[in-house]
This record gives sequence, C-alpha cells and structure tokens, in this order.
Amino acid sequence: MTKTCVDPKKARKILDRYPSGDGTSLIHALQDIQAEFGYVPCEAAELLCEHLSVPISKAFSAATFYKAFSLEPKGDVVIRVCTGTACHIRGAQTLVDELCSILNVAPGKTTKDLKFTLETVNCVGACAMAPVVSLNGEYHGNVQPGTMSKKIRGGK
Amino acid sequence: MTNNKTINLEIDGRFFQADEGMTILEVARREGIEIPTLCQHDALEPVGACRLCLVEITHPNWKGWKGLVTSCLYPIEEGLQVTTNNPEIHTARKTLLDLLLARCPEATYIQKCAAEYGITATSFKKREEETTCILCGLCVRVCAAKGCNAIGATGRGITKGIAVPFRQPPPDCIGCASCAHICPTDTIKYTDTEDLRKIWGHKFKMVKCVSCGRPVMPEKQLEFEAAKAGLDAKYLTTCPQCSQDQTLATVQSSFQSKTVPGGSLEVAR
Repeated sequence: MTKTCVDPKKARKILDRYPSGDGTSLIHALQDIQAEFGYVPCEAAELLCEHLSVPISKAFSAATFYKAFSLEPKGDVVIRVCTGTACHIRGAQTLVDELCSILNVAPGKTTKDLKFTLETVNCVGACAMAPVVSLNGEYHGNVQPGTMSKKIRGGK
Repeated sequence: MTNNKTINLEIDGRFFQADEGMTILEVARREGIEIPTLCQHDALEPVGACRLCLVEITHPNWKGWKGLVTSCLYPIEEGLQVTTNNPEIHTARKTLLDLLLARCPEATYIQKCAAEYGITATSFKKREEETTCILCGLCVRVCAAKGCNAIGATGRGITKGIAVPFRQPPPDCIGCASCAHICPTDTIKYTDTEDLRKIWGHKFKMVKCVSCGRPVMPEKQLEFEAAKAGLDAKYLTTCPQCSQDQTLATVQSSFQSKTVPGGSLEVAR
C-alpha cells in the first residue's frame, strides 16, 4: 500500500535533533517527520516514541488531533482548494466538483497512483484573488472553471 | 494529612467540615449525598468530562453570584454554599443526558440514567453512526494509571473516538481488560475462553491457576504485574478463590494448633 518505505536513517536523523526521553518534543518531532515524509508513517512514529519514551498511543492521539498531520501518504501534488467565504462566493465549489470528477477522488483523499491529493481549506488569506487553488503551496488566483485539468498537469 | 486545614462548608443546607484539598463531590459522597456521575472513578484523577456532577455554588461574600460547576473538580473553600439539586441543575443534567442519548441511543446504561430524568427518547437528532461510547475517557485513564498507555483518544470534535494506535493491535496492551470492566456503557468488548483472551485484536494466552486450573490472567499481564510489584511470578499464579481458601486454611490451622482459652474456636468458612 505505502509507496515509500521509511528510511530508518532519515528518521534517525530527525530524532537526533531531539533529546531522548523528553516527551515534550513530541509535536515538534512529528512536524519534522510530516515535513520529511509528507505524512506520519507508523514506523517513524514507533521509532520516535521509543526515542522520546512516549507511549505510541500518545503520538497517535496527537497525530490524529492536529490537521497538520496526515497518517496516509500524500500525493506528489497536494491540491488545496480554498472554500473560505470569498472563494465560496466566487465558485470554489465548482472547482472542487471539477477536480473530484477529473481525479475521481473525494476531497481529503489521494488518487490511487499517489500523484494527487485533493483537499479543501477554509481560508488561505488571499481573498482578493478568489477563488484560490494552491498546488504544493503555490497559489493560483482567479481560477476559472474548466482550467483545472491543465493547471494540475502543469503543476506536476 | 493531619496538618491539613479544616474547611467549613454547607451542602444542601447542612454544615460539614472537611480537609482542605477535597473536592465537593468527595465531601458529598462521604456524607451520603448523591450526585450523579459517569466519568468519575475513585481510583482515577477526575477530569470533568461528563459534566453530570454539576452543582450550584455560591458564597456569602460573592454578592449573590452563583454558578454551576463540576463538583468532581471543584476544590472546597471556606464558607462555600453548595446546592446539589434544584430545577436549574435538573434541567442542565436533563439536557446532558438528552444529548448523550442522541449520541448513544442504544446504550442501555444511558437509557437508564435518562429515564431517571424522565427522558425516554432523545429530543435531538440521533447520531447516524451507531456508537455506545460516551467518550468519558475512563478506559484511557485506567490504562494510563495501570502504566500501559495502550489506548488513546483519536481525532477531535465530532469525530473524536477511542482507538488503538495506528488501528493495529496495541503493542503496549497486556490484556488486563481494565478498560472493558471500567466502561460504563460496555462498549469495549473482550472474550475469554479457557486458554485465550481476545481483546483489541490481540489473542492473549491465559495463565492457569496452579491449584484449580481455572484461567487467572493473561501471561503478558502476569509478567507486567510481577515486574511492577517486584514479585516472583509464581505468587500471582493462584486464582483469587484458591488464594482465599489457602489463607483460610492457614488461619484455621494456626488456631487449631494453639490452645485457645475457653475451648476450641470454630472458624466459619
């Protein structure tokens, strides 16, 4: 299922930044793992918990509590459609529907080939250029319906 | 404990003295005053998750201010005046139970509690996904108190739940089933056979009682308990019934071997 097998060396490198046995570093270390792997792999979380002497259940609770963490691998391109008030008024839902039908996934899900992840976010703080779609953090403003297919292929 | 300050307080018009640091609920329970709770357990630290233990407090110095607080968490203070039941508290508890019933319409214990407040069916929209878990957190807390931390809360808000890490049989679980026993709504299930206990996707091999052969506890729990208590594992391989019988036999024989003044002493079993 998982595309990337967790490289223990990479995980070890992250862990070495934190003092062993200090459970207060849990969230920071999880953020680093998320940034490195694009998600929080079970194996990396296990290594982390061993290093910080934190029960694995605590790491799982934290990783599921915060939306910044994902437990499933994300696609190469993470598409975030802003559905904040301004974007909603200017047709964000049409863009979401369009992307759903192009990619054949529901919002919050990743395509089977692990190329795209479709997410909706509540506001990216760029209401002047609504509707906004971000592709791997790169903002596209005033997005017109019907142009999504081209945009996401270009963003690959 | 002896140098603790004594606090005077009033509960439902009666005056009581109690040690500083006690909670309203502790004093009320000590005095036989009933306050309903769902997430409270004497062996665990209170968290105030169920809010059912709401009481009204006020104080002569508070210029008429009064408020509803969770009695399981509120530490007593000098001159505090507590009311454990009035129409306002009743309404608050009724709403809480109504909401719990909307979440867990099938939970028999919640049905029973709600019926005591005159609710037979929830007035809210029922939750679509069926559950009997009221998220009191007792299972997670008892597991942590035991020292295992095998299970935890997941998600937040409406998707919050109790789950095992990464949806796999929890590596830290010892199969003690404390979580299942403490659950007020019997949400956590386990099955016991002569040789196996199945819980949280695990299959634990049971240790048999050395004297009667009945299952005592899972092997993993035995190792854990023995290490925790610093005992040899063999001290824990007798079931409670046999261990009681053995103690009784020891006591009896010690009485029989000694001359008891005034004749023989019959020890009733």
